[in-house]
Amino acid sequence: MILVLAVLVAVLCAALAGWALWFVVRDRAVVLRQLWGGAVVEGVLLLQALVLAVLQARGHEVDGVLLWGYVVTQLVVLPLAAAWAFAERTRWSSVVLLVATFTVAFLELRLLQIWGAV
Amino acid sequence: MTDATSAPGQDPATPGTGNRTGTGAGRLLVAVYGVLALAATARGLYQVGTKLDEAPLAYVLSLVAGLVYVVATVALARDARRTAWVTVGFELVGVLTVGTLSLVDVGDFPDETVWSRFGSGYGYVPLVLPFLGLWWLRRTGRDAPGADAGTDGPDDEPAPTVG
Repeated sequence: MILVLAVLVAVLCAALAGWALWFVVRDRAVVLRQLWGGAVVEGVLLLQALVLAVLQARGHEVDGVLLWGYVVTQLVVLPLAAAWAFAERTRWSSVVLLVATFTVAFLELRLLQIWGAV
Repeated sequence: MTDATSAPGQDPATPGTGNRTGTGAGRLLVAVYGVLALAATARGLYQVGTKLDEAPLAYVLSLVAGLVYVVATVALARDARRTAWVTVGFELVGVLTVGTLSLVDVGDFPDETVWSRFGSGYGYVPLVLPFLGLWWLRRTGRDAPGADAGTDGPDDEPAPTVG
């Protein structure tokens, strides 16, 4: 289950990263539709948090503090990038979105390692 | 704000010659600093909170490093130049010192702090970032570095809040 969600997060992040990269190349700032894309990622992350909580409650052995540190960190990255998109109306907001998607994807990998799924 | 209709490259916050540290390409710097601040502080809190007795010095340092990254992030974002100089400089010294110590294996620096082995656990970002930060501060500086004591930006703070 976690692995399926992780693949979904990775695919969505890759798509959003590609979109952001395209905007960087075209010298454009982040648009609202990209933020909706980020919201979809956030939705999947929230679902993942729910699933993690349920599985942990059912007795999955994991370092809880470490795991939830990553879960919370992962959740705040894209909203911060979104805030940037409003403040900086240049291509650099697209660069920031690109970095943010990479960060979320990387945190997802660490999350899997902590969970013991890979 | 539904579309990117504003002209790229134009920034209303940069009148005159000087640039603010937190705009344009500086956003990227602030963003990467922010990610590192988040990562280092979270990790430091975790280490100090759960296993401080294993390696007190390294873990407290880990947390301090994280908090300094937070201050540096805010300073860069708000164009508080003096604070930014101090905190970014602190990181440079920190990563070089701890990086070297962890390589020659002096003291208890397990590979669990941001600065251990020059930040290899973080893709060497902690090593590269201070250089980029100092370069950016220099580049955007209205005055020569070091001579900016009284003529800083509007948001500059009176004194570094480190330590």
